[in-house]
Amino acid sequence: MITGVLAALVLFGLCAGAMPAGAAAALGILAGAALWIFGRHSHGGVLVIDVYARRSRYFAWSPALKTAACVLLLILCVVSPTSWVPLALALILAALTVAGGGITPRDYLALLSFPAVFLLLSGLALLWDYAPAGDGVLAVPFWNGWLVVTAAAQARARLVTARALGAVSCLYFLSLSTTLPEILAVLRRAHVPQVMTELAILIYRYLFVLLSAYGAMKDAAASRLGYSGFARSIRTTGAVYGNLLSSSFRRSGACFDAMESRCYDGEIRFLQREKPVTLPAALLLGGLAAAAAAGTLLAVRSCG
Amino acid sequence: MMEELLRLEHVSFTYEGGVEHRPALADCSVSIAPGERVAVLGGNGAGKSTFFLLANGVLRPGEGTVFFRGEAVGGKRRDLNRLRRGVGLVFQDPDVQILGGTVEEEISFGPMNLGLSQEEVRRRVDGAVEQLRLENLRHRAPQYLSGGEKKRVSIADALAMEPELLLLDEPAASLDPENCRLLEQTLETLGERGLALAVATHDVDFAWRWAERILAFHDGRLIADRTPEAFFSDTALLDACRLAQPMLLRAARAVGLCPLPRTVEDFEQAVLERRGQRGETE
Repeated sequence: MITGVLAALVLFGLCAGAMPAGAAAALGILAGAALWIFGRHSHGGVLVIDVYARRSRYFAWSPALKTAACVLLLILCVVSPTSWVPLALALILAALTVAGGGITPRDYLALLSFPAVFLLLSGLALLWDYAPAGDGVLAVPFWNGWLVVTAAAQARARLVTARALGAVSCLYFLSLSTTLPEILAVLRRAHVPQVMTELAILIYRYLFVLLSAYGAMKDAAASRLGYSGFARSIRTTGAVYGNLLSSSFRRSGACFDAMESRCYDGEIRFLQREKPVTLPAALLLGGLAAAAAAGTLLAVRSCG
Repeated sequence: MMEELLRLEHVSFTYEGGVEHRPALADCSVSIAPGERVAVLGGNGAGKSTFFLLANGVLRPGEGTVFFRGEAVGGKRRDLNRLRRGVGLVFQDPDVQILGGTVEEEISFGPMNLGLSQEEVRRRVDGAVEQLRLENLRHRAPQYLSGGEKKRVSIADALAMEPELLLLDEPAASLDPENCRLLEQTLETLGERGLALAVATHDVDFAWRWAERILAFHDGRLIADRTPEAFFSDTALLDACRLAQPMLLRAARAVGLCPLPRTVEDFEQAVLERRGQRGETE
């Protein structure tokens, strides 16, 4: 619900002045309502992303190609001087992800609502300013002065929000079609320091272990009425977290033993399944990158 | 003298910060030959798991020495890896072992650590996948598999190292009857291929029908190393270990069979034969 209200407020702020106030308000309320209704429907976060990645039609594509294209698009999104290139990219990538990824638009929106909260909060902060005089696109009297939205702040907020949205769609396209181990293998081949990739592998692995341990403990506590009443819920949650810490310590010891027993020498390596670069994949991602680059270049030239 | 694969000589081990510094394993001497099938019995905390971890080189003995193929295993990485390669260990909880993003990756972790070529790693992974019938699960994420499937993956993990002795720590724990049956089949085929097996278990009936040798631990000590017949006939020893006699053994004793049948089929056969003989004499 917070996401919905935030989205409505930010969209209204972004559009006010550019269109009639009634239209801006309607647009804001509509988007907010959509996020509120669909955003609630979500289960398990990280786990779900991994499941979708394996189900995606793009899963068979070369992870190196996907990662490279994603990084390129991400850079284009961030350097673009207009908000149109990132916005278009966000829409296209979202459509691609939904069309080929075996994920429903509803689930995609639900996943989007996690980062949306951060995005919208920063948008709100960028839009509104405190000023002694009430001149701007929007102004609300507040504490001996005014809360205002100036045209300059609006332009800045539009650009930043669009860039962030584009970047999130890029990353979602990658992570909803490529499993984390694959991305890490690509990073390793790109000579990203080993400490980082290996830490990421271990963190990824333990996420599952921790989540399942947490789920079991929570169920066990709930079955003994540990969550009846607010105060008791808080106490139980604390106890579960504390237990999770000690049990994960013990567990990490056992896991290390298991790695040692298979001759672990300080470096985690797996056999990689070859996924060669295929023509359709290269054409689609290459075309997308080229179009985005052309759009950015055009925008830079017209601005400069 | 019998050819030996693994030998522990006066090995003791105490966990740091363990309860009252009581050794988890005290003065344990035992030797295992190629192709042997050993059942390791004993209650919780008797020292079975510690014994396995020592035999695999994950733990280093506080006192005593571990020998692999007649050579003492020192503390050097090379020595330890020689032991870990020759002696595979399947942990009780497969979740502890699983690390890879797909079943194939997961199985490849051990062979990759041995510094083998890609082709050799692939050959070993293929071999382990085939032996444990994991063909359909090859590209699945091991985290999402069922308990029985995870167990098979964790056995394949160890097999891909191509060990000469495989240690399984309570492999039947939390498996359903069907998966237990499949597990026994797997053990049977592995044994037929000449792999030495040591299985920690609480199931005396399984030990009776499968093992050719019993190691019993109690309170951190190896208190018996005998044939199943000798071990399960000693009721005083069984009481000390808090173990029951195998059902089949008691039934065979009750009807006075000799030699003692190891499987239900053997038992039925022997009973039928006796009936036939009785029919002739009448």
